[in-house]
Order: sequence, then structure tokens, then C-alpha cells
Amino acid sequence: MEFFERFAIPHPSPLIYASMVAIGLVSIAIIVGITYFKKWGYLWNEWLTTVDHKKIGIMYIISALLMLFRGGADAIMMRLQTAVPENSFLDAQHYNEVFTTHGVVMIMFMAMPFIIGLMNFIVPLQIGARDVAFPRLNAISFWLFFFGAMLFNLSFVVGGSPDAGWTNYYPLASNEFSPSVGVNYYNWALQISGIGTLMTGINFIATILKMRAPGMKLMKMPMFTWASLLTNVIIVFAFPVLTIALVMGTFDRQFGTHFFTSMNGGMDMMWANLFWVWGHPEVYILILPAFGIYSEIISTFSQRNLYGYKSMVWSMVLISLFSFTVWLHHFFTMGQNAFTNSIFSITTIAIAIPTGIKIFNWLLTMRKGKIRFTVPMLYSIAFIPLFTIGGATGVMLGMASADYQYHNTMFLVAHFHNVIIPGVVFAVLAGFTYWWPKMFGFMLNEKIGKWAFWFLSIGFCLAFFPMYITGLNGQARRMYTYSEATGFGPLNLLSFFGAGLMAIAFVLIVYNVYYSFRHSPRNVGDDPWNARSLEWATHNPVPEYNFAVAPEVKSSEALWDQKKHGHKLFNKEYEEIHMPNKSGVPFIMGVLFFIFGFSFIFAIWLGVILSAIGIFACMIYRTFEQDHGFHISVKEIKETEEKFGGADK
Amino acid sequence: MKLDHSQPLEYSTDQNRLNILGFWIFLGAEIMLFATLFTSYFVYEDRIGSGPSGADIFEITPVLIETIILLTSSFTIGLAIHAMRINRTKAMTVFLGITLLLGAAFLATEIYEFNHYYHIGATLQTSGFTGILLTTLGTHGAHVTLGLFWGAMILIQIMKRGLTPQIANKSFIFSLYWHFLDVVWIFIFSFIYLKGMM
Amino acid sequence: MKELFPMKQVNGFIFSMLLTVIALSVYFLDMSYSVALTILLVTAFIQAGVQLVLFMHAGESEDKTSIYTTTFYALSIALFTVFGSLLAMIWGYMF
Repeated sequence: MEFFERFAIPHPSPLIYASMVAIGLVSIAIIVGITYFKKWGYLWNEWLTTVDHKKIGIMYIISALLMLFRGGADAIMMRLQTAVPENSFLDAQHYNEVFTTHGVVMIMFMAMPFIIGLMNFIVPLQIGARDVAFPRLNAISFWLFFFGAMLFNLSFVVGGSPDAGWTNYYPLASNEFSPSVGVNYYNWALQISGIGTLMTGINFIATILKMRAPGMKLMKMPMFTWASLLTNVIIVFAFPVLTIALVMGTFDRQFGTHFFTSMNGGMDMMWANLFWVWGHPEVYILILPAFGIYSEIISTFSQRNLYGYKSMVWSMVLISLFSFTVWLHHFFTMGQNAFTNSIFSITTIAIAIPTGIKIFNWLLTMRKGKIRFTVPMLYSIAFIPLFTIGGATGVMLGMASADYQYHNTMFLVAHFHNVIIPGVVFAVLAGFTYWWPKMFGFMLNEKIGKWAFWFLSIGFCLAFFPMYITGLNGQARRMYTYSEATGFGPLNLLSFFGAGLMAIAFVLIVYNVYYSFRHSPRNVGDDPWNARSLEWATHNPVPEYNFAVAPEVKSSEALWDQKKHGHKLFNKEYEEIHMPNKSGVPFIMGVLFFIFGFSFIFAIWLGVILSAIGIFACMIYRTFEQDHGFHISVKEIKETEEKFGGADK
Repeated sequence: MKLDHSQPLEYSTDQNRLNILGFWIFLGAEIMLFATLFTSYFVYEDRIGSGPSGADIFEITPVLIETIILLTSSFTIGLAIHAMRINRTKAMTVFLGITLLLGAAFLATEIYEFNHYYHIGATLQTSGFTGILLTTLGTHGAHVTLGLFWGAMILIQIMKRGLTPQIANKSFIFSLYWHFLDVVWIFIFSFIYLKGMM
Repeated sequence: MKELFPMKQVNGFIFSMLLTVIALSVYFLDMSYSVALTILLVTAFIQAGVQLVLFMHAGESEDKTSIYTTTFYALSIALFTVFGSLLAMIWGYMF
């Protein structure tokens, strides 16, 4: 029995037991359901073993939506707890766990995969490629992310959740102050999914640099592709820092080293330093693709070409470089001298310049445009003022001396939600709606989508603007409760109300998927939005091979050229198409990494050794495997194209 | 599979060229990985607590042996790739074999060195300094170990299947990896050992 | 036999051994800290350059721009991280 005691929850409550039951029931329901409908074969052949970038993209997005609700439940619990003074819905420990998992889940397992999912689906289509550079690696990336996310969520019911904040600062995260295995979960879940993300980064840089359609020079790439390229550059150079920081944290907690302790030469603030060397670029990993999505949508629905293409590109290049030079602003109050703080204050505020350029470019794109107020466009229009407010408060926080006032207050919480929600969440929802017909061949209902948009935007303002005020009045972040005398009560109640509206919006979005699946017409054509870039030049939904013949491009708006300027995209005859084979190895490796992480968390060394051997066995299998893929014959291509009604291409 | 005969074998297919570029990008990530370790090393360098400092524990002899071995192995893997390009498969396998043997010798010296540290009381747990020292050296050593297995797999494949475009590609990428480990070692040699001893 | 040992590789090897010997002088000779550190910096970066260009053939393929950009991008961020962290944790740290 002693062996099993380590898996017990150190601090149980009825809520946790209820979620154990819920997780159990849902798992059983899924297994029974799949067995009943005899879908195991379909699931394995079509999804778990796929190396198709489109299916991997969809799996990323589904996982991200699931995690959105997981993290959203945390958010509602936090707002409920702080809705009234001295509430006792959650105790201090649970509140700590909830804000920790909310942060990690939303950043690492919701926003990132949502964006990587869209990238997976769209980027190869936008550049006219058949797939990514390394399809098998892409599948491994996904499964590492997925099993990392599952590992993290397991902490809730096995062993206890991490409770030291998503920033996981030491000494709070050390064994002494976080004695449960929670922080071990944090270390390994992030490590495993982080390795997956790093491989995605390498994969997409190679794809974008080497696999573009003929004629598509770098400065003729669609803006979302540019944004993705630079995002992946940041990923490749930022994630190794996290890898090392997590290794050091793991060593401290599990092998008794003195990196982040306060004795024998340890230095707890070094964690904060390394964490933010990764963590600040991470913010730009989230926002740059969002900028790309907005650029596509604003240009499409203003029915004008994007204003200032070159300045858009260069501002993103600058942002990608600057993003590595500002990390210290997350701990201005740590105790550096004024000179050091000033340097990082200047670099921080300097980032506002390229970002400002982009804002003006979007506004000038809309100027004199014939704007169509579709759901994606509504999100994009709302993004501009809301994000500007978030950016301006960011500049306030970036001034080192003033930051002593704002540091660790609700003002900061309001600021970063103000950039992340209108910046990233609106963007992925806009992109989700915009590219939905590309993925599934029908449109999402506009009316329900607009309702969701209004609920989300108004809910957002109500939920987060009050925090600016309570923050300036001195409400600290991460405090599980406050006394009535502080006067924070009414504004926090308003916040809770806003959070409720946002929750309704997300339910509406899911309902919209269901409703549109049932009722939307299926004959929307290849180009339902009258769009401009290459991904709309193939069919909806996209055939397995993307493009029957490689398109030839002469500007960043290849489809527009074809529609308005008589440019001919497809000039070649059909040829045999080479495709990669599917493989079960990536999924198996994901499972093995899951076992590896889980065993390491609980220091079950036999499991660690066996799963590590398994992982190496997979790699050896791969290197000896002779897999040359398969070919789709010209006849098959013709049949598929005729089925889609596009044989003329 | 379209073969482009104007290029060396390892560049001859589209996928091969993609693999090489992809690996260079991976090396970019590796630069950051080791940069983080060096950053941490410099921060912890003087944070020795009650443990020994670098000047107390470093010894020039094993370090010099390791450096010469690794530089030589970097030379021999370069020769292996050259032999591959002039189609001397036999010579290539010999050079690759020598590289791997030198790698193993490097590793043996490093194990001796770690053992020495352990016996004079400089372990992973002693202080911030010894912790980061052993982590940095250990990360490099783990890379070398992985490289040994990888190189051995390639050697087996060359002997079994001869030099196909795929295997040439793997060999070339392996040589990039091996040279890179040498570069990292140069920095360890200069900024950890020599800087610590001077 | 001779064609197996091209001049480029052999010279590169000799040169890298020479650089190692120069670097070793900081151990065997008596010199000030700043001179020694300068020697180490110069020899290490030249050594890295030799490996990169001579042995790793960084400039031989159609992707050389991408390869050099990646390397320099990584190198500049790496240097900024090293010195920024030293500034934050040691030189500019007041406690």
C-alpha cells in the first residue's frame, strides 16, 4: 500500500473528488462510445497515425478547445472566489493551485496549440506546399504536446496540482514550500510539450524557407506565413532556455542540487531570470501569429490589399529580435541598480514602436475599404482599440520606476489579459471562423457567431477593466481573498459578472459548431469569403494532396491576381504526387514520453529506465526503417479533382 | 525520388536538402541551449558556498587529453565526409570508426574526471558552482554519448546497405553534429577550464 | 592515400591545434586577467569559425544565407542572454 500512497491528493476537497468522478465517467463514456460505434480502426488509421498537416492541425485545435474549457473553469472558480470579500468557496491552497493551472493551461496548452494548429493547417496551403518539411516529426511534435498536456491535467487527481504560479518562482516552488509532486508535474509536462514545440519550430522554418511555390519570394509571402516564420524563429531560440531552466529545477527538487536554493551558493532569482529569458519571447510567440491572422482578415474584409506590406514585415522582424532583449522588465523590483533597469526599460518601451506601426497599417488598410462586418472582421476591429489599451498600459508597466507601484497588483493582471485576450484569443477565434470552411467545407453561422462576439467583448471589458482600478488601489494578484474594508468588493463582483458573460460566449461558440454542422449549406464553393491568398485557391475541404499541380505565384495575393488581373495560377499538367506514409511511431513515442514523465515525477526509476529504452528503440527503428512513402497516380488525382468540380485546374 | 547528380550524394534529393537545413536550424537551438548553460555557469561560477572553487579542482592533464582527442575526432569526421564525397566508402567507414573510437576515449576520460571530482567532494549537490559545472559538462557528455550511438547506427547502415543518398545524408548531418560538439567543447575548454585555472 | 587527406582539412586541423596552444598560454604564462580573457575570446571564436566554415561547409549549399542567418541570429541572442543575465544577476545586482 505504501507504494500507492504517493499518488494520493495531499489536499483533497469535494470539488476534486467530483472531478475525479467526472474524468472517470467521461473516459469510460469515450471508450464505450468508440467501441459501440466501432470507430477504433477509424481513429487509429485516420487520426492517431496521420502525418497529414491538415489533420494534425485539426487535432491541435480540438485539444486547444478542450483546454480552453479546462482553463476557463479555473478562471470562473477564481472570479467566483474573489467575487465577494472573505469568500470561502476555495481555500488558500486550492486557490493557489487554480491560478497556477489556469496560467499554464491557457498559455502552454490552449493559446500555443491553437496557434500552432492554425499554422499547421494554413501555412503549407498559403505557400502552395504538399505538406510540411518533416511530416513524421510534425506528428511527433503534436503527440508530445498532447501527452504533455494530459500529464499536466493528471496532476489534478493524482498527486496534487502545482501551486507556485505559472511563473513557478523559487523558493516557493522548492521542496520546502511546495512539498507535493505538483511542481514536478509542472517541470515534466512543460519539458515534454516544450520539446514538441521546439521541433515544430524547426519544421516550420525549414518548410517556409524551402517549400514555397515557384515565384513566391520571401517578400511575396502572405502575412500569416511571415508571422509564422518569425514565430518559429523565436520558438527555436527561446525554448532551449526553458529546457535548461526546467532541468535545473528538476535537479533541485529531485536530486538535491543548489541552483535555486538559498544556501551553498544557490540563487533563487536565477530561476526568474531564466524563466523570463524564455517567457518574454513566449509572449511574442503568441502575439505574432495573431498579428498575421488579423492582417489576412482585415485585408480580406476591407477588400483592399494590406497597407505597408514591407513595414509590416520589418516591424515583425524587429519584434522578433527585441523580444529577446526585454525579459528583465518582469522583475524590475528584484534589486538591480538603476542603470540595469533603465536599459531594459528602454528596450521594453522600444517594442511599442514596431507594434504601433502595425496598428496604423491595419487602420490604413481599412481606410476607404468596403468593409464587410463578418464575425472574423468584428473580432479584428475590436482587437485594435482593446489591444492598444493593453499596449499603453504595457508601456506604463515598462517604466521601471513606476513599475514599483504596479508590480504584482491586479493592474498587471488586467494588462496582460488585455493584450492576450483581444490579441491572441480574439485572433484564434477570428482565424477559426475565417478558415473553418477551409477545414470542413461549410460555414459557421454568422448570427450565433456575432452573439458570441458581443458576449465575449463586453464580458472581457467588464471582467478586466475593473482590475486596473482595484490594482491601482492596491489589490495584490494571487490573493485568495480580501477584507470588506478594502472596498474591492463591488468591482470584483463586476469582474465575476464579466467572466460569466465570457463563459456564455464560449458556450455559444461550441453551440455554433454543432448548429452549423447540422444546418449549414455544404455548397459554399472554394472561396466563400472572396479572399486573396493562396490557401483559397484549392478546394474546400482540402484534398489530401493540397494542390493538384503546384501553383505559380507573382505576388503576396496570388488568388486575387487570378481573380482580378488574369494571372494563371495552375499552368502545369497533372503529375504523380509523392506522399509520406502514415506511422504509429509518433503516437507510441508520445505514450512512452508520458510514462517517462509520470515515472520521473514520482521517482519510479524502473518506469523511467524502461520508457527511456522504449523511446530509444523507437528512434533506432526509425533510422533503420526504409520508408519512401507512396504515390498518388494521375488517374486518382483526376477523379478527385472532378469530384470537387475543379478539373479545369 | 528525383536524384540531382550535379550535387554531392548527401544533397541529391529535395528531402536531403531539407534535412540538412533543418539540422542547421536545430544547431541554432543547440547554440541557445549551451548559451543558457554558460549563462548559468558564469552566474554560479563564484557561488561556491562551502565547496571547492574551479581553481581547487580543475586539472590540466585530463582536460588537455580531452581537448586533443575531440579536436582530432573532429578532423577525422571531416576526412570521413571527404572520403564519402570522392566515393571511397571503405576509407569513409574507417575514418568514421576512428571518430567513434576517439569519442569513446573522450568519454572515458570524462568519466575519469567526474570520478575524480566525486572523490574530492565536488558533487552535483555540493554547491551552486559544482552543480552547474557538472550539469554543463554532463550535457555535453550526454550529447557525445548520444552521438556515439548515432554514429554506430550509421556505420552499421553503411556496411549493410552501402552509400545510398539517404545514408550519405545521415552521415553528413552526423558530421555537422560532431563538429558542433567540438565547437561547444572549445568554449568549455576556454571559458570553464582555462578561465577557471588562470 | 594522398587524396584522402585534402590540404584544406589538414591545414584546418593544424590551425586549430595552434589555436589551442595559444589558448593554453593563459595557463602556462603569467599575464593579467584582461589580456588572458581577450586571448581566450579571440582564440575560441576563431576556432568556432574554423569549424563552421572549413569543416561544416556552412557556405557550400544554396541555403547558405539561411544557415549563416540562423547562426548569427543564435549567436547574437546568445551573447545578449549571457551579458544581460550577468548584468541582472551580478554586475547590476545590489544585494
